[in-house]
Amino acid sequence: MSIVLGVMEEGLIYAIMALGVYITYKILDFPDLSVDGTFPLGAAVTVMLILKGVNPFLTLFLAFLTGAFAGCITGIIHVKFKVRDLLSGIIVMTALYSLNLRIAGKANVPIFSQETIFENAWLESMVSEALEPYLVALILLVIVVVCKILLDLYLNTRSGFLLRAAGDNDVLVTSLAKDKGMVKILGLAIANGFASLAGCVYCQQKGFFEISTGTGTMVIGLASVIIGMKLLKRFNSVKATTAVITGSVVYKACVSIAIAMGMAASDLKLITAVLFLVILVVSNRTEGKVKIAGKKGK
Amino acid sequence: MKKRNVKAVILATMAMAVLAGCSSSKNTETTTTSSEATSSAESKAEDGSSAESSSAGEDTGVAEIADGDFTVGIGQFAEHGSLDNCRIGFLQGLADEGIVEGKNLTVLYENAQADGGTASQIMDNFLAKKADLICAIATPIAQSAYSAVKKDGVPVIYTAVTDPVAAELANADGTPVGEITGTSDKLPVTQQLEMIRKVLPDAKTIGIMYSTSEINSVSAIEEYKEAAGDYGFEIVESGISSTADIPLAADNLVEKVDCITNLTDNTVVSSLPVILDKAGKKNIPVFGSEVEQVKIGCLAAMGLDYVSLGEQTGKMAAQVLKGEKKASEMNFEVIKEAAFYGNTKVAENLGITLPDELTESAAGLFDEISSTTK
Repeated sequence: MSIVLGVMEEGLIYAIMALGVYITYKILDFPDLSVDGTFPLGAAVTVMLILKGVNPFLTLFLAFLTGAFAGCITGIIHVKFKVRDLLSGIIVMTALYSLNLRIAGKANVPIFSQETIFENAWLESMVSEALEPYLVALILLVIVVVCKILLDLYLNTRSGFLLRAAGDNDVLVTSLAKDKGMVKILGLAIANGFASLAGCVYCQQKGFFEISTGTGTMVIGLASVIIGMKLLKRFNSVKATTAVITGSVVYKACVSIAIAMGMAASDLKLITAVLFLVILVVSNRTEGKVKIAGKKGK
Repeated sequence: MKKRNVKAVILATMAMAVLAGCSSSKNTETTTTSSEATSSAESKAEDGSSAESSSAGEDTGVAEIADGDFTVGIGQFAEHGSLDNCRIGFLQGLADEGIVEGKNLTVLYENAQADGGTASQIMDNFLAKKADLICAIATPIAQSAYSAVKKDGVPVIYTAVTDPVAAELANADGTPVGEITGTSDKLPVTQQLEMIRKVLPDAKTIGIMYSTSEINSVSAIEEYKEAAGDYGFEIVESGISSTADIPLAADNLVEKVDCITNLTDNTVVSSLPVILDKAGKKNIPVFGSEVEQVKIGCLAAMGLDYVSLGEQTGKMAAQVLKGEKKASEMNFEVIKEAAFYGNTKVAENLGITLPDELTESAAGLFDEISSTTK
């Protein structure tokens, strides 16, 4: 049971970040590497604020805003200075490494003794004993669902439609007399806001900030988005955001299964890669067949 | 389309099963296979009594097998010579106390490959397999362990945590913050400086390379800077952020210093051969921080022996497993006496003679340079 809970907790935390990667990778078609920096950025900002005595719930918003600001920078570098998408992400990610160290002060900052959104006097007075083991997963679920609903609502606003159009057909955005660059910047800001929020939640749950936590964030995000989209593609009623969240939990479940099977941990990455490849190859092959059939019809 | 999805899942499962097969057979040499591990974990699940009963009959015998059947989860943060030595020492320490792997001890060993997310999943896995005790090697995984077991109350014994107080794993007075205790690998900074002064009476500057991402190194640097003046040294630090920076940083550093000393910095130690090579060309001595570094070509070290640190940790763990003491009742321990290690072959290459007063009391002298880190 504890392993299922563990998977849920890990999966849900990374799901917040995966929602961001969904915006950049799927909607904007922008390979955004800055999430590798904004994820620990959120964590760094959070520990710094919590140690200063800021309410842990407030850190959620502040972390989102800081991440969004970093995302803006990536967007501005790309749009205004015409730097290639991949490179502008790398620039921001690299800069954030130093910034994160500055913000947190050290490479590893524990907050075990501080109040967090998962452990505070208010929660303890509210929650019964029986619920306690599930508490972390429940809180995470609430946060993820709120993020998902807000994102869904946003994507259906005027600005959200423009965002979607910017990825699919940016000529349309221009023809509507809108600046497609601004739309991209906005998309990157939201995406990195989510990544930073995930980092904030991550460090509060783990009880410490560690500079190395950001490494590979982008890959986990991509994997979650793709696994989720592929697995739930046939259910038309399932929203992409739901699929992404599912993908994140499935991804973490795979890692957990690999560990539980007695797999040497050094082989973990290989397993993940194989698993990932299998899912992709199987769905691509069938897609290919459909296309060929379509051509014959012509 | 549904079929396709099902197929994907089945294929994935099969692929994992195949890979699992390879890995568990590989593991058989060192640990019991995963199926055995699970079954013994299950049998252990319902009894806590055997551990208590064993404490009565277990006072004297060193090699005597302790009663009971223990499952210990060892989580190591990264693949690394010093940390591997901790693990070997830990198992040795347990064995000295009659808890022997394969007889009454099942070891679940996992390595997080320096990934924080994996570290916490490893801990969840140990808890699911009902480990009686978790051994966490290195700071980040010790913190993961602490946050994972907070509610379950499974004791955690850590090792290779340089500053348990700064990591909030111990209170300022050395008492544990919960069911967690262990050993610290704090460097004997002043002894190292004293030793360098004896070996190189004329040296003025010491270069230290460290990764900005490793908290242990940052605090060690501070300590070096504070103490260096007392021995007439000046510290030149060189911060790096990844392995890729090391060659450039090393080139830069060897131009500026009379000698180099190492911390227990994981990134730097992993790339030590590069630094040794660059320093060797300039005839600059490199001092190590532990025995393995001296073996592969550092001139000398006033340092730690991670195997004995691990043994000390294993003995603490044995006390907890046998129910003699609770983890929360033991303060964390540091290695008591730093020992001198020297490499005469390196000294010869550099044209330096190691002073007799050091070599006479040496815990280990090596007359060759071994090529591997492990």
